[in-house]
This record gives sequence, structure tokens and C-alpha cells, in this order.
Amino acid sequence: MTALQEPQTGAPSPPESTDRSPWFWPGWALLALVIVVPAIVSSPLDLNKLSRLVVLVLAVLGVNLLTGYTGLISLGHGVFVGIGAFTMANLIDQGLSLFVAGILATAFTGFVGLILGLPALRVRGLYLALITFGIALAFPPFARRLGSWTGGVTGRNVTNDAFVPPSFLGLDDHVHVWRYGWCIIVVAVWFLIARNLINSRMGRALRTLRDNEPAAATFGINVRATKAGVLAVSAAMAGTAGVLQAILNPYISHGDFDAFLSLRLYAAAVLGGLGTLVGALFGVLALIAVPAFNGAVGLIDNEAVVFGAGLILVTFLAPSGIAGLFLRRSGNSPTP
Amino acid sequence: MELFLQRCFDGMFNGAIYASLALAIVMIFRSTGLLNFAQGEMAMMSGYIALVLLSAPGAAGFGFSLNGTEWASQWIPFHPWPVWLAIVAGVIFGGVLGAVVERFIMRPLEGKSALSQVNVTIGMLILLNGLTLWIWGPFARAFPSPFPNEINDFVSIGGARLRYTTIGVWIVLLIAIVGLGYLLQNTKTGLAFRAITSNRDGAALVGVPVGRTLTIGWAIAAGIGALSASLVGGTIVLEPLTMMKMLIYALAAATIGGLDSPLGAIVGGFIVGLAQSLAPGYLGIPTELSLLPPLAAMVLALVLRPHGLFGTVPVSRV
Repeated sequence: MTALQEPQTGAPSPPESTDRSPWFWPGWALLALVIVVPAIVSSPLDLNKLSRLVVLVLAVLGVNLLTGYTGLISLGHGVFVGIGAFTMANLIDQGLSLFVAGILATAFTGFVGLILGLPALRVRGLYLALITFGIALAFPPFARRLGSWTGGVTGRNVTNDAFVPPSFLGLDDHVHVWRYGWCIIVVAVWFLIARNLINSRMGRALRTLRDNEPAAATFGINVRATKAGVLAVSAAMAGTAGVLQAILNPYISHGDFDAFLSLRLYAAAVLGGLGTLVGALFGVLALIAVPAFNGAVGLIDNEAVVFGAGLILVTFLAPSGIAGLFLRRSGNSPTP
Repeated sequence: MELFLQRCFDGMFNGAIYASLALAIVMIFRSTGLLNFAQGEMAMMSGYIALVLLSAPGAAGFGFSLNGTEWASQWIPFHPWPVWLAIVAGVIFGGVLGAVVERFIMRPLEGKSALSQVNVTIGMLILLNGLTLWIWGPFARAFPSPFPNEINDFVSIGGARLRYTTIGVWIVLLIAIVGLGYLLQNTKTGLAFRAITSNRDGAALVGVPVGRTLTIGWAIAAGIGALSASLVGGTIVLEPLTMMKMLIYALAAATIGGLDSPLGAIVGGFIVGLAQSLAPGYLGIPTELSLLPPLAAMVLALVLRPHGLFGTVPVSRV
């Protein structure tokens, strides 16, 4: 399982600087440990629960790409997770293989993001926050109405019998580990894509857009196309998170993708640290830790209170999130 | 025709409520350039406070007791209060909350990036919603109407019923608008507020107390917003999700009218209210999807008239 590592605990260093954070190698080691240990010690049920949260790292990464690198706010990434999940379930019904269905569902979610972004990004990024928040609220009742597609009020089953390990691996009794491993691989691939995107011409265009939009336009960056494009990629990431959730859980319903999921994802992205890839990892840790903390301490019986207060505190105390606390030392502090 | 009029009246009742919340959002946006995502939740807190003040212990909502009513009946004189008084108290609470938020949360962030300011309002949206849910639970509560709301309390116009509650809400909104207009046009604080809106640095340079004026502005805006949670009485029940939806309606209203135009907020509010009550009837959109017509109206406005009906087109310098 050690082969299943995620890329880059150290920040994606800006092109001009190659010095690494002192946390680079310890971070990698810790990450490998954090990934491998649950696969060995967790019960199948726990690991499945954990996997469902871990795949949300993709949605957080999507928010981060959008908000941290481009300065656009999406309060509706939970919807993209939902679209990915429901599309996946329906494509499997059509008898497509998991790979093809997953890729198609991801692409479809990205396309939806593109369509949503075109009117919202016409004026300025702020309107994207309004429209996505509205969609986040409208999605659950909307999904409830689309009975044949989403299973209506009760939700629907996902036929995922095909997703079992090949017999030569000897994992027949550890289907959950096999699935967890696949999730890690898919997440790693997306992180790699995100890293390359950020260090590419497109990534520089995004940062310029974030920092000074008129200047970006003056330099010949096609503002609308770039924004809509990054929204599509970001939505596709969240869509993949949904695809993986649909595979992990044989039962999905509209209630899984309510407005609170979207708000949680946004809060997690900010908490983890905007404008760094590693921020998404820390963000998803927050998603896992907050319910666990609530369960253990039992002091605050409401996740929203913790996320909301955390969002405010982080803005005051650590503007570049948890990741910023580790990265600042090496001099490549992100500017959210 | 009768049905059409009826739907118009219903829509304009909701429209007035959306308009008041949109007005609060626009006031803050105009003066500080910040979109306050927590406006609806701040209003909801105020609404619940009013509800606690007017409810006898153990009897609020649909049979679910309301936290705080026992405490209130013990410590607050003359509890339970009459509806009107409780609403006024709720609005005052909203105003104080707005002032506190401006002074202790937003002002320390002055000069920080716009993103971190928006993030804080989103944080407050999540926090206040969670707090309300935590304290008062997910149950829907019926907020009593401050106006006569019996079955026969209506004026018949062309066969349609114009209920007293609708007229009452219009009157309250009108009073709020006239009062706000008077405040902005005829008082020194209003002049200072307008000066800050048009040129903040210039205003500070000639001695306008920017911080204090903004605190007052936030208080007034939050008070007007708090009206929206208290006036829903009779038609909409108060539950933790109510004001999130209301926020979307209000944001749609503000977008349609132009984010920096108070007049636009009011017109937009009525447009959204009408779209919401007419679309289900004539286009066959089921009522549980009532969020869709306002959203569609917002998207349409962004496509056709990106800066709203009454908004100003910003000019930017590189």
C-alpha cells in the first residue's frame, strides 16, 4: 500500500523559487503514514466512512483552485458532488464500466459547472457566490423531484458489484481496502493534474486574474473563458468526489448533498489554507476532525458552530489557513 | 383575473419582506463594498429573540417548547410581551448585533483583502445558523402576525383578498423607507453616511467619523433586515433554513435592482416576490421548487442587464 501516496505535501513552489519547506520530507512521511495506517487498522465500516470523507478532499481542492487561486467564491460545490454521484449511479445503470462511467460523470459535472459559470461570471466573481449558494439550497428539493434519476424522496441504490479486487491480489476479504486504495489513487491523480495546471500558463493566468483583473485583461488573458474554464475543472473535481462516493456507498439520496455540505466544503477550504495544494489536505482533515472532536468532547453539539467559528478565527489569526502556519517559514507564503 | 390579482397580492406580501432584507444588504454594500452573507442569519437571530419575548413558556411553535422562554418569564418583566413590542425589541436586538459585528469583527479587518472580509460573513452565516439550530432546534415555529390575521380580515378587490397583514407589511416597509430616507437626507449622521458612500477617504479627511458612522449604518441596516424575520408572521414559519432561502430571495432582489441602489432593492424585492407567486401557477413549477423562479430571474438579470435595473456601472482603473 505504500505505493499509494499522494503528491506534494510541500507547497507547489512558485516557478522561480526551488527552496523547499523544512516540512517537505517529514510531511511526506506523515502523509504516507496517515494514508496507510487506517487501511490496516480500521474495520471495514470505519474505513468506508473514512473513505467517503477522504474523497471530499477533491471537492475541497476544487474550491481551493477556484477561491484560492482565482479569487472566485463557490458556495455550491456540494451540488457538484451530488451531480457527480447521481450521474455515476445512472451511468452504471446503463451498463457502462466503472472507468468509463466515472470519466463521463466527471466530464458531465464539469460541463454543468461551465454552463452555470457563463452567466454568473459575466460581471464579477461575486455573483458566482450568489448563484452557487442559491443552487446549493435549491438542489435537494430539485433532486427530490427527479424521481427516476435520483430515487426521489427515498434516495436510490447504486449497483457497484463489479468493483471488487481481482483474485490474484488476494484481497477478496478486504474489498474496502481495495476501494480505499482506488480512492487514494484517483485523488492523487487529480492532485497531480491540479499541480501541473497551477504551474502552467493557465495557473499564472489564474493568479493574475485573482490579483488584478483589469491588468490580466490588459495582458491579453481572456478573462471570461479562463474563469469559466477553471470553474469547469473545479466542478469536475467535485464531480469525481461524487463518483467515488457513489462507488463507496451503495445508497445515495438528495439529503446527502444539502446546502450545509457546500458550506462545510467552503469552510474546509478556507480552514485548510487557500492558495496552496496542501491546504486542501488540511481542509479535509478538518472535515474529519470536527465531527470526531464533537463526538469525543460532546461540548458543542453542532458542527456548523465549529465550522463557522473556525472560519472567522482563521481569517483573523491565520489568514493563509492551517497550511500557512507550516509554509510561511520557507518564504513561499501564499497570498489568499 | 381574480386568481391573478390574488397571486399578485400574495407575491407583493413576500416581496415587501424580501425588499426589507435586500435593502439591508444594499445599504451595507453601498457603504463598504461588502456583500454581507450573514444578513439573513442576523435577521433570523433577531426573529427568534422576538419569538422568545412574545411566547409564553412551553407553548411556542407547534407544540415544541422554545428554549429561553422559561428564563424570560422569570426575569423579564411583563413577559410574554405583546407581539408589537417583541418585534420592536427584536429589531433593536438586530441593530445592536449589527453594530457589534461592525465594530468588533468587520472593522479589525479593514484593509484586509475583500476575500477575507467575505469569508468572515460566510463564517457568520454558518455560525449563526448553527447557533440557532443548536439553541432552538430544527422545528418550524409559527410567528404570530402583528396585524389582524383572522379568516375575515381582508379587503376584497376585484374578488381577490387583500389581507390586512399584507397592507400592514406594506405600511411598515413604507415607514422604514421614509424613515431611512429622512435619516439619510436630513440628519448629520445621514450626511456623513452618504459622504462615506461616495468617497470614503475624502470623508475621513474632512473629519467625518468614519468608524462610528459605519457602526450606525450597520446597526440601521441590520435593524431593517431584522424586520424581515419578524414580519413573516402568518404566512411563513420560522425555522433555521427559512432565512437562508430568504437571503437568496433578497440577494436575487438586490441583483435585479442593482446591488448599489436602495430603490432597486425595493423594486427587485417586489419582482422576486411576484415571480415566486406567479411562476408556480402559470408555468406549472411545483411550490417546493419556489427557489427556481427567483434564481432564474437573477440569471436573466445578469445576462440582460448585468448591473441591475438601477445600479451604476463601475469604472475601474488599472
